[in-house]
Amino acid sequence: MSFGGGFLHHPDLFPGRRSGEAWGDRGVTLDVPGGPYRFSGLTAAQEEAVRRRFGGLCRPVVKEEGEGEGIATAVFRAPLADFLEIDTRGWEYALDLDHTPLSVRVAGLRLMARLDWVPGLAGGLWTSEAAGEEWTSVCENYLRLLAAYRLLAAGGVVLHSAGVTGGTEGSDGDGAAAWLLLGPSGAGKTTASRLCLAAGAEVLSDDLNAVLMDRGGPVVARLPFTGDLGSRDDGPGTYPLRGVLRLRQGPREELAPLSPAAALAALAAAAPYVNRDPFRREALLAVLERLARAVPAWELTFSLRADLWSILKTLSK
Amino acid sequence: MTDIHPSTVLRRRPDVRYRRIEGEAVVLRQSAAEVLVLNGVGADVLDLADGRRPVGEWIDVLAREYGADREVDRETVMRDVLDFAAEAAAAGLLEPVTAEDDG
Repeated sequence: MSFGGGFLHHPDLFPGRRSGEAWGDRGVTLDVPGGPYRFSGLTAAQEEAVRRRFGGLCRPVVKEEGEGEGIATAVFRAPLADFLEIDTRGWEYALDLDHTPLSVRVAGLRLMARLDWVPGLAGGLWTSEAAGEEWTSVCENYLRLLAAYRLLAAGGVVLHSAGVTGGTEGSDGDGAAAWLLLGPSGAGKTTASRLCLAAGAEVLSDDLNAVLMDRGGPVVARLPFTGDLGSRDDGPGTYPLRGVLRLRQGPREELAPLSPAAALAALAAAAPYVNRDPFRREALLAVLERLARAVPAWELTFSLRADLWSILKTLSK
Repeated sequence: MTDIHPSTVLRRRPDVRYRRIEGEAVVLRQSAAEVLVLNGVGADVLDLADGRRPVGEWIDVLAREYGADREVDRETVMRDVLDFAAEAAAAGLLEPVTAEDDG
């Protein structure tokens, strides 16, 4: 199927540039890693819905803000008739992406979007959703993609992973460190997160976490994109990355170190959106190679009775 | 599986990107969003698959390298390279260069 055909009645009429009819004159700026991300062209209801969804990540309203700082996204109206009706029961949602060297086009559930890299990274988002959870879903799905591209451009990466940390617990010096648990859907990220949570750890997110390359080494930055566990609207927060574990479920606990190449492969498989972009794969591999060389990686086979948190803490000794 | 001979000319498929790291290679295939890890020989073969040299030349290069360093005989290198090249072609990492491509 050609680009957009799964979501749009007329993919050939996909917007060629970031223009259209704005929904309104409101805006909101989000402090999410890689950002701030500034949305304009919203109605009051859309702005309110974003503020409810992202809570403390939204900057306060500033009168006469003007252009402001951050990665800009203009939001435009699109007629409902532009989008296919989709029965989402039992359906696994994946955005449809079309890559070029200077832009990415995106089609999804009641959304069209484009990211353009010239003159600087900026986005356009077209939707038929005027308010409520449907609108915030559109906004969140777009923001996941935007953050993945923005962080890659900044030398970081978004990883499909469970991020766990000791938060402020303990006196062993590892309280603030974080581990990332990688694996495809079904590998056990949420299960492992629950085991760690039950043992007193904090789950940053069981779905997407950001890694930034800090002077002192890689750090995990909290993203507001969670599955079943994690906070969707807490402040960003960063945690030194202590290690990466590729998960497998099995009858008993086994831990095996991963070679740097195997770690790089696990990381690349876990980098959503950008790992399919032929024009940004070299940049992605460069970032991930730095990461694979900077932190230890293991394959962790675990059972449902595992004391995972103790294993993780042991690894950091 | 593609039949590979020493005279076959192969090249990396256009959607294949790879990176060598500590003796292994990590390969990304865009069309399948697939990530593979290859051992040292596999990484060497990807380096050599430039669409100009026939597989026989890869065997010569690798036999010199591995024969000198690790005392591996040419027959073993040839068998390993032909097997790997066939598997890599079947996996969509390599593709044959035809007369039309040259042309």
